[in-house]
Amino acid sequence: MSTQTQSTNSEPSALVRLRDLWNAYLPYWFMTPMVLVMLLITVFPGIYDLYLSLVKYKLTDPTAIGQFNGLENFQTAFTSGGAVNSFTITILFVVGALAFETGLGFLLAALVTGVKSDRMKTFYRIAFILPMAVAPVSLATISRIMLNSEVGVIPYMITQYTPFVAPNFLSDLPLLTVILVDTWNWTPFMFIIFYAGMSSVPDTLLEAARVDGAPLWRRYVHVIIPYMKPVLFVAILIRLIDLFRTFGLVFSLTSGGPGTETELVSINIFQTGFTFVDLGAASAIAVVYLIGIVALCNILIIKIGFEGVWE
Amino acid sequence: MASKRSGRNRRNFIKATGVGLLGGLAGCTRGGSDSEASLEDVDLPVDDYEEADIDWQQFEGSTIDIGAVQHPWVAAIEPAIPVFEELTGIDVRWNILPEQEFRTKRLTDISTGAGEWDVFFVDQVVNQFREAGWLQPLDSYFDDDSMYDEDWYAMDDLFEATRWQAHGGGYSDTWTGIPITVEVLTQFYRTDLYEEYGLEVAETLDEFVSNAQTIHENESDVVGTAGRGQKGYGMNIYILNSFIREHGGQLWDNYPTNSGLDAERAITAAEWYASLLQDYGPGGASSQTWSDVLSMMQSGNAGHIVSDANLFWPDLTDPEASDAADNIGIAKAPAPADGEFAPNSYAWQISTSKNADNSAEAFLFMLWASSEPTTTWMHLNNGAAFSVRQSVWENDEFRSRVGEDFAQVTLESLQATAPDPFDSQYPEWGQTYSEEIQTAIAGNQSVEEAMTNSATAAEDVAGE
Repeated sequence: MSTQTQSTNSEPSALVRLRDLWNAYLPYWFMTPMVLVMLLITVFPGIYDLYLSLVKYKLTDPTAIGQFNGLENFQTAFTSGGAVNSFTITILFVVGALAFETGLGFLLAALVTGVKSDRMKTFYRIAFILPMAVAPVSLATISRIMLNSEVGVIPYMITQYTPFVAPNFLSDLPLLTVILVDTWNWTPFMFIIFYAGMSSVPDTLLEAARVDGAPLWRRYVHVIIPYMKPVLFVAILIRLIDLFRTFGLVFSLTSGGPGTETELVSINIFQTGFTFVDLGAASAIAVVYLIGIVALCNILIIKIGFEGVWE
Repeated sequence: MASKRSGRNRRNFIKATGVGLLGGLAGCTRGGSDSEASLEDVDLPVDDYEEADIDWQQFEGSTIDIGAVQHPWVAAIEPAIPVFEELTGIDVRWNILPEQEFRTKRLTDISTGAGEWDVFFVDQVVNQFREAGWLQPLDSYFDDDSMYDEDWYAMDDLFEATRWQAHGGGYSDTWTGIPITVEVLTQFYRTDLYEEYGLEVAETLDEFVSNAQTIHENESDVVGTAGRGQKGYGMNIYILNSFIREHGGQLWDNYPTNSGLDAERAITAAEWYASLLQDYGPGGASSQTWSDVLSMMQSGNAGHIVSDANLFWPDLTDPEASDAADNIGIAKAPAPADGEFAPNSYAWQISTSKNADNSAEAFLFMLWASSEPTTTWMHLNNGAAFSVRQSVWENDEFRSRVGEDFAQVTLESLQATAPDPFDSQYPEWGQTYSEEIQTAIAGNQSVEEAMTNSATAAEDVAGE
């Protein structure tokens, strides 16, 4: 009898315990599928990339594939492979493009926010986000034509309507040119996020600042920008990561040239992997690049994110 | 420095480029392509192949997969595929990709041993692939009496240069594939401007410079010449290598220790090419690709194309695509006064890999596709103009279709061509070589420095 009673009592209590366990770790259960997916699509390739960077993997030398060779791939990539040059160029490209896109995006957002007519606001919103819809390879092809020194519309207009003589964009100013073309393509992304952030600034705050006699620039510095800090931070972080991954636009526009003047790390990795068929050296560059980007983003999140934005 | 252009020329350029671009984009496809033609629609009798002492039906019921670049060859041969299927009982499946995607997929498919493609396009990387052990040599198939009929196939009809390229460009004694298309360097010029300034067609490099100079200095909207300056082993160095040979130089005076790139004759050739583009080419010549060169000539903004593929001819003379269509002349590429005419040529071949499941079936396809009946049919009926068979270029009906000038210049050029001997490391050191030349054309370093650096890179890579 007592055994029977124990049995009857233990069954619901196990269910209860299971339910409590479920409830106690509820957020973790929900996250588990995503964690597994992330492990599959990021951690596994990352580890495999690290493995490839430490072994010989030159496709045209099949007998040696898989042999451990320490840091030789890193040495190859960073001495004769031009990786150092490509890292320098990438940093210049990312800093330049990010500065232009952030500045221009903010300026456009401020201008459109200040427009009184709703109809015109809609017009500007649509007009300003159009460039983002153009595929990078198409944009690169169109840009090559528009920047052509002999028949391109941009050099023509500069020479015709300004006191300046147009430079040969892709030969004389290749890095600045790819930065400007990327700026044209991606400023809309910054604009649309900044515009949303600016639109969410409470009118009461702006009104109070106005009543206190703060001029426009003070309202931006002391009210709007501090209020938009999370938006600014997230937009810059997303764009920063995206800029580090740029490939198609620059590859189609300059192929990394003239010489190696616009050879981003992504292009260098592609060339090392698919032209030189040295997957070991390509992986070595990719490993260093991955660690660098992850470290930079984490530093930004820790130093700026948690201290300056989230709190 | 950019010159002030008329609105008309700019519009024409954009129109011409737009037509080409849209055509190219329209042709893009990622997946396979199945021919919709039926046997009844094709005026190519199966009987033409049954004369051959080949057992066409020995693989009846099997299927072959073909990996191909988007190339006019595919469009020209696709309608005839039902004939092959009827003849052999082998089904054909296509996988057609844009060039860059194709190269990437080919590398991964062949190097990993996936063997998805039984037949695939191969070009300059042939020795890289052959030395890695990925390509299936075809010699055993040629030796098999049930698969090859020497008398019927007429091997000697294939240009010697294309057969040489299918033997690894001198680096191999075995067949690495069968050539299917060939293009050769030729010179294009504006007949109206030649008439206006009383110019003679240039046979020597000096005459070419002189003609380019005349047009460049007298025309405000037209540059003297245009040529590939962009880097890449299929870009600037593809053209420059011809001029090196014509100056008496060559790639690899002694492989792998002496590339020949820093020899005086090679430097002289490179200085000639770089100076020509800098002095009489468009602004930003260092970033010009072959498509830019074609577009400039189509829009009427260039007096000459220094030397590029003969296959530009249809695009340049098509009134729908070219504003200069009525005024385009074609001639053999120029050579130094004391040099030897030796234009570069470029052949696509089709090969099969060691990991392919159906290499023997693939060989029958290669043989059929490159045979005289198929090649002639493609060139007479389907708009092709890239034959590797001499008989096609001598065919009166074909010459009448494509034009006597184009056919004769191409034929003579192909008979004299000296294509690049692409060694297995060419893609790697060629990339550096082309970067150095591009930097020199852009004026950022001397040609001598560029060629010396290129020689060091080539010898380092080849000596590894």
